[in-house]
Amino acid sequence: MKIAIPTLKGAPAGLVRGAFAGAVTVALAGCAPSYYVDREGCPAPCPPESYVVLIPSPDGSVGKVLVTGGKGEQSLGKAGQAATTDGQTFAVDDKRIKEDFGAAMAALPRVPVRHVLYFSDGVKLDPASDAEISRIVAEAKDRPAVDLTIIGHTDTLQSAEFNDRLGLKRANRVAELLKERGLKADSITVESRGKRNPVVPTRDNVFEPKNRRVEISVR
Amino acid sequence: MHKLLVIALFVWSASVFADDPVGRVKTVTGDAFVTTTGKKVKAEVGSPVYQGSLIETGKNSSLGLTFKDETMVSFGANTVFTVSDYVYSPADGKLKFGSKLAKGSLNYVSGAIGKLKPDAVTVGTPSGTIGVRGTQFLVTVAE
Repeated sequence: MKIAIPTLKGAPAGLVRGAFAGAVTVALAGCAPSYYVDREGCPAPCPPESYVVLIPSPDGSVGKVLVTGGKGEQSLGKAGQAATTDGQTFAVDDKRIKEDFGAAMAALPRVPVRHVLYFSDGVKLDPASDAEISRIVAEAKDRPAVDLTIIGHTDTLQSAEFNDRLGLKRANRVAELLKERGLKADSITVESRGKRNPVVPTRDNVFEPKNRRVEISVR
Repeated sequence: MHKLLVIALFVWSASVFADDPVGRVKTVTGDAFVTTTGKKVKAEVGSPVYQGSLIETGKNSSLGLTFKDETMVSFGANTVFTVSDYVYSPADGKLKFGSKLAKGSLNYVSGAIGKLKPDAVTVGTPSGTIGVRGTQFLVTVAE
């Protein structure tokens, strides 16, 4: 099973497109808004040189940003909405975003992926999860300086100490399998949460296959 | 005895600070540097970044890095950015992403810290602070 992190999906290059589907209102009414400044190489109207602009997350959802400065707090909740720390809010268009942030946006790393592998018993992987190991190895090959975190989990059968050890054994087993099948990583961090972080919460001493798992973050 | 204990604690915390990268450089163009505990190295793909690391990009340069919690940040040219406070320990709920953008441009994409504890994410600029509620945003700070 492969879980892409919902807000991190998609290619960064597509971020700006569609960001301005909704009409964005300029905060200041009347004549030329005072935030338009004369910037070298930027034909008027031009936003100030220092500002924050909200854009959609890679999955298209738009969160919220709070900009706090000398004149209180501005809340940005719409794509293309921008603010300065001195209390001005305004809209910034697609073209301006590319001019001011194109280089930073182009440098954004590949979106990390998460995988969850399940164990039938002890450190024995489910067949489907075993097959996924090879897919993780193949996918990691394309990533620059890949680093992974592998976290082992258990269900609530047995003691906390037993499960801390079992979680670590599971995580180490997955690390071994990944390496056996050709994974080349800059860094692999192996951890155990034992029975402390179940995905399906249960009473103590309950068999729950969904909790017998290893989570892998591939970055 | 007391003195010994203090030294032991100091050494232990120092080793946690120095040995445990919080993120890694994934993209670089042009000239970029990572400075950690006073030591400045040229940034390359794979360079580790630590709590307290200072990241700089030169003219026509850029850099992108991914943190342990899958937060991503990337910078355009002439940027100075500090990872001032980074804690990712979801098992005991300790989460913090404190950073400073002294100048340049930043693209931020939330990772687990921004999702699990939005209040814990801040980007300071010379004139204010940006708080994040699980999203992507861009910041530019003029020199």
